[in-house]
Amino acid sequence: MLNVSVFCIFASYLVAFGFELTRLRGQGWLARTLTLGFATAGLLAHTLYLLARASAENLPPLLSSSHDWLLVLAWLLMVLYLVLTIVDSQLAVGIISFPLIIGLVATSWLLPETSARSWDPLRSWAMLHASSLVLGTAAVLVGFVISLLFLWQNERLKQGAIAKRSLSLPSLEQLARLNLWAISTAVPLLSVGVLSGIILTNWTSENVWIDPVVLGGTIGWALICGLLTWQLSRTRTPGRKVAVATAWSSGLLLLAYVGLQVLTSAAGVSSVHGAKPVKVAPQAVTLPTKSANEEGQK
Amino acid sequence: MNLHVVSCNHQSSGLAIRERLAFSSAEDIQRAYQEFHERFPTSEVVFLSTCNRVEVYAANTEEDPAVVRQNLASFLSEFHHVPLEEFSEELTEHTGPEAVQHLFQVVSSLDSMVLGEPQIVAQVKEAYRKADENGSCGALTHALFQGAIRTSNRVRTETRLSNGRVSIASVAVGEFGKSIFDTFADKLVVVIGAGEMAEETLRYLADEGVQQVIVVNRSRDRAERLAEKYRGQVADWQQLDEWLGKADVIVSTTGADEPVVTMARFELARSKQNRYKPVFIIDLGAPRDFDAKIASLDDVYLYDIDSLQKTCDRNRKLRQAEVEKANRIIEEETQRFMSEFYSRAGGAIVKRLRDDWHSISQQELQKLFSKLSHLPAEDRDAIERTVARIVNKLLHPPLEALRDESKGGSPNGLLDALSRLFRLR
Repeated sequence: MLNVSVFCIFASYLVAFGFELTRLRGQGWLARTLTLGFATAGLLAHTLYLLARASAENLPPLLSSSHDWLLVLAWLLMVLYLVLTIVDSQLAVGIISFPLIIGLVATSWLLPETSARSWDPLRSWAMLHASSLVLGTAAVLVGFVISLLFLWQNERLKQGAIAKRSLSLPSLEQLARLNLWAISTAVPLLSVGVLSGIILTNWTSENVWIDPVVLGGTIGWALICGLLTWQLSRTRTPGRKVAVATAWSSGLLLLAYVGLQVLTSAAGVSSVHGAKPVKVAPQAVTLPTKSANEEGQK
Repeated sequence: MNLHVVSCNHQSSGLAIRERLAFSSAEDIQRAYQEFHERFPTSEVVFLSTCNRVEVYAANTEEDPAVVRQNLASFLSEFHHVPLEEFSEELTEHTGPEAVQHLFQVVSSLDSMVLGEPQIVAQVKEAYRKADENGSCGALTHALFQGAIRTSNRVRTETRLSNGRVSIASVAVGEFGKSIFDTFADKLVVVIGAGEMAEETLRYLADEGVQQVIVVNRSRDRAERLAEKYRGQVADWQQLDEWLGKADVIVSTTGADEPVVTMARFELARSKQNRYKPVFIIDLGAPRDFDAKIASLDDVYLYDIDSLQKTCDRNRKLRQAEVEKANRIIEEETQRFMSEFYSRAGGAIVKRLRDDWHSISQQELQKLFSKLSHLPAEDRDAIERTVARIVNKLLHPPLEALRDESKGGSPNGLLDALSRLFRLR
């Protein structure tokens, strides 16, 4: 039997981040291997945990609870980090991505593990809502990471400091382009998420506009739409200001989607995204192994 | 080992002499190889001629009077028509293992004016290629130059001797410019002034793919010369503000006593069309051509000569720290080369010894078989194989001793003893 808990995932990512930080002082192959090793082990645990949760709840992780939705978001970012690191091992993306991913995993602890409602009759719409929002939020967080990398590179260039060989940063021009791509991807995905959410509430005949999570999320979406419009409406936009605006908008969206869910859960405020009492430490989930299955069959 | 190198380099002699001794064209080099072989037909030779050094590597597997300092120096003197006394004292000489170590240091850029510079490897490879083309390489020079290339690869991969840039223009373009822009192919470069530093910086920018160059200079003649070299255009000094507004990259090297571009002038020029377009300014003027306050503007990346010089110095110190590591690799490779060389040198003696002993055993076996003619063919083969094994086992200890001796240096003493003991001539 395999026991996988959120703590396993959290601890693996935390150790990987610790090794990643050694890059600030110039990293050797051993630390790099250990970073990748722990990150991969964490991702494996993460995947197994989500599969076990889906099996236990008999629902895709996106629908089962806010706890699982957040873990899916963290999983997407982790996969992206690993792909980028394998493509370019010197890229400084881990220094910024790890705190974000670890933060998401830690926050998932504070969210309810079970959904407040059953989505059975509206499962397809609920799936569209949850998946477009998770992908859109992931794109916003990628934009957030890119913006911080831009500000880091900008600061280095302004100071005239030499780049560390173990921490390569893309050029400002490339970061600005990637930032625009990330926000351009996020806006349609978030829009689909918000619109499908509105359609869902029409069917369920609930007044969701008093729900702080829905209200905050919609404001966050409007901010990101405004940011994209601002970027596209000007032929030249000051790069540093775009990066700062993206970082703030992304931060606010994250606060709206995640922070408000934590607060409403803690305060016991009713929300369509689940308002069960806060669970401090989720139980470890048990994954059935081949021998256990065989025993069951006997 | 009969290997000599005579060298006239940036440490031992001035540019005036080096220029006169240089093999400046392909025809020069070809003629030099021809004349050298007419004089010393049995010697191998490689001429290495760069802007910082002229070196002659001459080798012969046998003792050869050609391969001595005096003859090599005379050859240089007569070939270039430069009196020997004018440069004789500035020539340095290395022989045997020292010559090997010298080449390994040269190719690893430890002997270069700029420590860690990458061009020298290509220059050594080119010199070796030309020598080979001219039929001037033999077993020793092939092994020597292949060993040199292997050494430089090890030094490059196992040390950080080539890390970081150390010239002002390369630091500006490589360390900073490439972190601002993804590509320079679509960028407009405006050069203010047409001095040497501007030209050097343009060379680096051209390597990065710059295609649009505008040169603005008070003297139109100099501007035209520079613009022509980099397929650029010349603009009048009065148009400076217009080009300041359009530029992506600005290289400034005027000799003005006070800033040519003040904050107000720059802001006005940029606000007309490209207020938020990133601009990379390399201010190589001393005193500065750009007001230092301009650096505080968003999307303006301004580097003056002092800040770039500091970066160069820091990189130089980092490279210096790697010299010891590089020297250790060179020592290892020199020992390896010498050991392989001595091993090859002993090869001829070893072959003769083995051939002699097997020949004697064959003669004795023939005598034996003629007496024992009734022996079947299988028995004869078995006896022959046994005797061959005995000979090989008897040969093994002396050959092993010879191999061990080669690792520690020249095994001449042992080779001589073997020759005398077994009358190998």
